[in-house]
Amino acid sequence: MNTDAIILTGLYNNQEETLAAVKKIQAKGFEVTEVHSPIPSNSLARALGRKKSKIGWFTLIGGIIGFFSGFSLAVFTSTRWDLIVSGKPILSWIPFFVIAFEFTILFAVLGNVLGIVTQVGLPDPDYEKNYDPECSGSMYGIEVASTTENADSLRDLLDHTGSIKKQRENK
Amino acid sequence: MSQLTFETINTTVLDTLSRPGKAYWCIISLLFCGAIMGASCWAYQIFVGVGVAGMNTPVHWGTYLINFVFWVGIAHSGTLISAILFLFRANWRNPIARAAETMTVFAVCIAGLFPFIHLGRVWLVFYMLPIPNQRTLWPNFQSPLIFDVIAISTYLTVSSLFWYTGLLPDLAIIRDRSQGVRKKIFKVLSLGWSGRTGQWMNYSRAYLLFAGLATPLVISVHSVVSWDFALSVIPGWHTTIFAPYFVAGAIHSGLAMVLTLSIPLRKILKYEALITMDVLESIAKTIVFTGIIVGFSYATEVFIAWYSHNSIEMETFWWRAFGHYAPEYWIMVICNTVIPLLYLLKKIRTHVIPLFIISLFVNIGMWYERFVIIAGSVAHDFLPNAWGHYSPTWVEGGIMVGAFCLFFFLFLLFVKHLPSVSMTEMKEMIHKVE
Repeated sequence: MNTDAIILTGLYNNQEETLAAVKKIQAKGFEVTEVHSPIPSNSLARALGRKKSKIGWFTLIGGIIGFFSGFSLAVFTSTRWDLIVSGKPILSWIPFFVIAFEFTILFAVLGNVLGIVTQVGLPDPDYEKNYDPECSGSMYGIEVASTTENADSLRDLLDHTGSIKKQRENK
Repeated sequence: MSQLTFETINTTVLDTLSRPGKAYWCIISLLFCGAIMGASCWAYQIFVGVGVAGMNTPVHWGTYLINFVFWVGIAHSGTLISAILFLFRANWRNPIARAAETMTVFAVCIAGLFPFIHLGRVWLVFYMLPIPNQRTLWPNFQSPLIFDVIAISTYLTVSSLFWYTGLLPDLAIIRDRSQGVRKKIFKVLSLGWSGRTGQWMNYSRAYLLFAGLATPLVISVHSVVSWDFALSVIPGWHTTIFAPYFVAGAIHSGLAMVLTLSIPLRKILKYEALITMDVLESIAKTIVFTGIIVGFSYATEVFIAWYSHNSIEMETFWWRAFGHYAPEYWIMVICNTVIPLLYLLKKIRTHVIPLFIISLFVNIGMWYERFVIIAGSVAHDFLPNAWGHYSPTWVEGGIMVGAFCLFFFLFLLFVKHLPSVSMTEMKEMIHKVE
């Protein structure tokens, strides 16, 4: 996007209207930079060409680290004072598996949270930029990038596609 | 359900967050006093010693651990509803998922208090944690008690994170409709959520993974709790059926507590349009199912004792049914397996009053189940000269009442300050229906 570009945000009543509007706007050659919605939508994500989420990798790596950490902790602590208790072997693999399992889940969840922080982009102190507060409640907001010369035709296009609110403009 | 729109869902839920009246604060104050009374009983026990509780030879695991298992059980249903039913795409869970998750978080916190109380010298609790020390002493990771420490801490962490993650889009709704200090608070809590497509895509995937991880966790946690008993050699405890039996019992009690909380919540906060009778009916049907599993487990325990021809096991189960704790045993059997069958009658499961009353009976029955298992088994184990009885003292009673007050106090604070029905999940549900 060049430096004299502006962002216009149009608000829509429901997902079907929003999806149709996104397709029309893209067909006219404008770039839909973002859609804000009150619920998740796979069809909107596809229309915007979003790539598959990578959060699963964070979770998987967290889980693997957790499994080995849990096992290692149990083995390490048992071998520090190798006293046989109740006739059980010092390295009791089955009980240690329980510890490893719990650590797997714990670290996988922590990996998942790390994924949310990095991939979802939270916390986001600049969330208000181009964001209309009505989008959290019931409306859908389409952000479209345009050059200043094409702004009027974009405004007309947003009106034509059913945008029900005066568009916000953000440079 | 069909007349619901995104806006009516917002309005219904946000209306519940309006300034509460005097009655609310009176109840909150009363519950707070109850919690303080429980804390005072605990303080008294710390100053005088754990001997003020009724636990003595041969019953060294009394009300504290009964309450521990009871509250862990209550906690399980929140994850069942929010995670397992989410994976099964059971839409009826959506209106009650938030309340159930919150119940889980508070119930785990309260459950976690009881081992501390039971410990007596609570300041030595760090012995249970793997902290490097000069004597190179570490927790024994072969012990089910240490499994429990790890499992419960993991469960508390996971359920709190799951709960908070689910709240994020709803916190943004409150933020966008607030002013002043309230807006500032929710601005921080919502972490700048703006519902961008990329955010939703990653969030939905993360939520699904949360649910996928919470499901085996919830099963493992109550299995681990059951192994606190089953890995010993006490008759009545030392049995392989304990893990599934405890998990089924946990879900049974948790669902009953969800009904106990949802019915007044629905009436007081005017949630009738969201928490419909169909939702309550679905919970009731699930309680019938879990009640049958629990009943089957009771019968299997008796069968195992008889089929084993082990005279000590046979004596234990005979004594359970006809010995000193027979009233408690039959309260357990009737409340958990017979009374829930009344939900098979459509007239009963579609009226809130019988639904509510039966849920209370199940709660009572499940508390007694833990009493019968825990106190009943050690009171009457191998040698007749070592048999004895256990009765809780006023200190244990005070702490137990205090724990219930603390739970309801936290829950009431929650329902007036945070959305007790997930607006986002309700919207997703009606969008799918449309």
